[in-house]
Amino acid sequence: MLLLALSDAHIPERAIKDLPQKFKKLISVPNKIQQVVLLGNCTKSYSFLKFVNQISSNVVVVRGEFDNKTVAREEIPLNTIIKQGDFTIGCCNGYTVVPKSDPLSLLTLARQLDVDIVLWGGTHNVEAYTLEDKFFINPGTCTGAFNPDWPLPDASNDSTLEASADSSEPQTQASEGSTDNANDATVPAQDGKSDQDDVANKEDEDTDSEIDDFEVDGRCIPSFCLLDIQGSTCTLYIYTYVDGEVKVDKVVYNKK
Amino acid sequence: MSYAENIEQAISNCRQQTVLMQRCLSQGKLMDALKHTSIMLTELRSPTLSPKQYYELYILIYDSLSILSSYFVECHPKKHHLADLYELVQYAGNILPRLYLMITVGSSYLQSSDAPREEILKDMIEMCKGVQNPIRGLFLRYYLSQRTKPFFETEDPEAKRANISLIVANFIEMNKLWVRLQHQGPLREREQRTRERKELKILVGTNLVRLSQIVESDFAMYRDEILPLVLEQVVQCRDIVSQEYLLDVICQVFPDEFHLGTLSELLSTTLKLSPAAPVNEVVLTLVERLNGYIDRQEHPGPDELAKKLESLDISSESQNVFFVFWKFLNQLNEERPDLSLQEFAPIIKGILKLTLRWYPDNLSNVDVLLKFMYEKCKESGQTVPEDYDYLFQELLLANDLRHDPRFFYQVLTKCESYQKLFRVQNKGLQKFCVNEILDAITHADLRISSETELQKILGVCEVMIEVGAEKASSSLILDEDDGTDAEKWSLNADQEKLAKIAHLCYNKSIEKHTELLIACREWFQKGDKNAKYLYPAVICNIWKLIRKCQLMIKRKPQRREKMSTTIKQLFKLASRTINELYNTCEGGCLDLLYKLNLQTASLADQLELGDIAYDFFSQAFTIFEESLSDSRTQFQAIVNMAQTLQKTRSLYAESSYDTLITRCTLHGSKLLKKQDQCRAVYTCSHLWWATEISLLGEEEGVTDNFFREGKRVLECLQRSLRVADSIMDNVQSCQLMVEILNRCCYYFVHGDENSTHVGTKYINGLIELIKTNLKSLKMEANQGEDSGERFFIGTDGSYIHQSPVNSVSAVYNKPPTSKGNNLASVPIEFFQRTLQYIEDQKDVDERFKAISVGSTS
Repeated sequence: MLLLALSDAHIPERAIKDLPQKFKKLISVPNKIQQVVLLGNCTKSYSFLKFVNQISSNVVVVRGEFDNKTVAREEIPLNTIIKQGDFTIGCCNGYTVVPKSDPLSLLTLARQLDVDIVLWGGTHNVEAYTLEDKFFINPGTCTGAFNPDWPLPDASNDSTLEASADSSEPQTQASEGSTDNANDATVPAQDGKSDQDDVANKEDEDTDSEIDDFEVDGRCIPSFCLLDIQGSTCTLYIYTYVDGEVKVDKVVYNKK
Repeated sequence: MSYAENIEQAISNCRQQTVLMQRCLSQGKLMDALKHTSIMLTELRSPTLSPKQYYELYILIYDSLSILSSYFVECHPKKHHLADLYELVQYAGNILPRLYLMITVGSSYLQSSDAPREEILKDMIEMCKGVQNPIRGLFLRYYLSQRTKPFFETEDPEAKRANISLIVANFIEMNKLWVRLQHQGPLREREQRTRERKELKILVGTNLVRLSQIVESDFAMYRDEILPLVLEQVVQCRDIVSQEYLLDVICQVFPDEFHLGTLSELLSTTLKLSPAAPVNEVVLTLVERLNGYIDRQEHPGPDELAKKLESLDISSESQNVFFVFWKFLNQLNEERPDLSLQEFAPIIKGILKLTLRWYPDNLSNVDVLLKFMYEKCKESGQTVPEDYDYLFQELLLANDLRHDPRFFYQVLTKCESYQKLFRVQNKGLQKFCVNEILDAITHADLRISSETELQKILGVCEVMIEVGAEKASSSLILDEDDGTDAEKWSLNADQEKLAKIAHLCYNKSIEKHTELLIACREWFQKGDKNAKYLYPAVICNIWKLIRKCQLMIKRKPQRREKMSTTIKQLFKLASRTINELYNTCEGGCLDLLYKLNLQTASLADQLELGDIAYDFFSQAFTIFEESLSDSRTQFQAIVNMAQTLQKTRSLYAESSYDTLITRCTLHGSKLLKKQDQCRAVYTCSHLWWATEISLLGEEEGVTDNFFREGKRVLECLQRSLRVADSIMDNVQSCQLMVEILNRCCYYFVHGDENSTHVGTKYINGLIELIKTNLKSLKMEANQGEDSGERFFIGTDGSYIHQSPVNSVSAVYNKPPTSKGNNLASVPIEFFQRTLQYIEDQKDVDERFKAISVGSTS
């Protein structure tokens, strides 16, 4: 059976659109996915919940810090357990796990709930690992929403510059005045028409288009996980959305 | 001579007479043949036939007459001269057969080169006037038109002109007959008559088709000699069916270029139509036709079109198609004050469609049209009935406007009249439109970069933002019962869409961007209690701006000073926004406010702004102390606080960190329920044990300046153990002790006794204590048979019930009463699992060997 894990959509408070269109295409195949787990911060958007319900009517929700106490008049639990195949799966947003996302703390949680797999969220970073024969999966954020946690190290401070920073850096160093003009040309069309505002912009030293949203959002890439559970084998597919393309990674976990 | 009683009989009569006629012809008895034909033609006099039946009969007779006609042609002038025959048939007894015969002979005669063409044609048309019965007349003239069709093909302009005037004359007569048909018979059959007329319309229309074939591409001739006469007839007949049909046919049969040249004539004709005639349909037909013209062009670019128009023989004024329509619209408005709003709406929509196709980027055309509509609305004074909502909906959300979201955005933000027209609509319609508008702009990757534009968009959305106001007034009484603590949230799709506007705002200047957000906030505040759905999006965008500043400093350290001021301003803005939300919603969203403060605090901490972070943490504490009342919410809030504090790094100076974590632990220890106290306090132990944040380059075992105070960690654990021990419910008590044991293991892994103060002795003691306490529990648990039903206690003390029937466990806040027995096994099994873990660790970590597990069973 296929189990879909989504987390931290944060619509509408942090993200406009729901999943990237390519994600939607992948998962909105009817009757393919039997169960959906929402690992927190996914319950404030009507359209998102509608979309999820179309994927499967079997939706499990746990509470994230920005979820309300209830959704559709049902209380959202902090943690819950799912049984699929030979596996028991513990679900939890992790905003009450201290220290946050600490593997040992999560391991304690797994022990307390006696589960083989722990699904958790809240970090906006997709990850999966095994520890003490247990499988830990965080599907990251399905919308690539802003993450106010510690940002990933800024590339331009290191000697190993990332491509995006690389290209913009020499340009800004050249000369302040001329780059601003160059930058103006690249802004969206409707910007150009706001006559006087724009003149002010040019003089404004703050003007800076070199910081893209991706950096600002804490370098979160949209991602989700799909678990294919057959008996005592769980195949995990990690979907990430990088530069407009969907990347898939596969991890196999066998229950001992 | 008489006619048959019904159509079947009539048809068989005709067939019979045709056979007889053919026999006579083969025997060369022309006179007898003409007699039979005459008898056959008499059937056409039948008044009982419906138009359809008449048409059926006509077709049959037409074929028979064709046989006769070809005989005439064959035998001319060997056996007879057609000129003689033409004279001869005049003696037929009845007028209808006589005229059919005459046309048959005449048209045959025209085929010979020596015939006096014009005279014959004129004569035939003149003679047709003799039949004034509408149906008979129409068919007779149709017959004339069909028979003479081949003789109108000529290259000579003079002849052409003559032909045209003949056809126009025939057309005019036919139309008169067609109109007269309406007024025949009793009044109660009027509708049936109209229906019958519509079945016959093609007979009249044929003339126009013929005209278009003759005139070919001679625009001047069309303009000067056809159109004026035809239009005059259209106007004069004062008949709705006729006017509607004929104008439609004119639009369809003549080339696009002709219409472009005579647009104003066509349009002004519609002004003179009878009052009940649907002006809008004529306009729409024209619009479709002209828009189709663009589709049919090879190069539909605006420049090519302009050139094409110049090449046509039209005045320069008329080259602006929109202008012609606009002039017409104004004339219409002046001359037809009787037209209602509902009748104007489709016309405006049609012209809108035209201008968007012809002048796709011209906003002022759109504006002027909407303005016209707006003024019409204002003029009418009264509100538009809801039944006509669809008309305005079609106008405000016209597909032609929306198909390009960027253009739609321009209309929304630049067209004053759009706004005005929007606001005079009723609230229901406005709301519906706002929904659609927001969908359109949020799905289009648009960015709102200027405040004026933002104000426009928000202005349109006003009706949706302000729903709170009307609700508040109506539910005043209810509110009293609710109390202020009740957090009532609903899945509100409208508010969700509104909130997204905050994300659309973007300006590369941080200052400008901030202004945009403030504008959003101001508008959102009008939503009163709904602000809780909207403000988080604004706050998130303030966070983003802060993060952006942070990144900019990193990129260019020389900006630090200036940026720092901006950052501080932004934090102040965040604080004000959160407070405003608090004031607006009062008790409506306390948990949310608490968490917004926490997140902002952690953001400030990341920027090494300890003071600001401290401030936001204090705010959170204030909310906790003053307002959070629900015990479960309180517990989760404290744990969340602990999680956030544990990740801070900038608060160590001036012992702010110490103050905060002590306060946090203290609150934890004062929670309402003992189990919550216990869990909160052992969780707070982590506050004295910082762990690595790898993103900052910290690493366990390498970094040596972690904030760690093992003594306090142990104190917390001891304290929570005391609480656990004091709980009377031994299931809960034991469960909590095992949880504490697990915490001990956590610290045991993390370091030696001298640093963590959690040592072998303490752990062994705890294991012994648990074992003793479990003894009594085990007695309870003994009788439980394995039914597959299992219980767990979650990290917040909730009871998780796993049943073999359901894949998803049920979660309860209170211990389920019926299956109480199973609960005893919860801590027992958890304890066993923990001991197993310790056993397993012995293989990896030598130090674990000092922990005495005893017999695990």
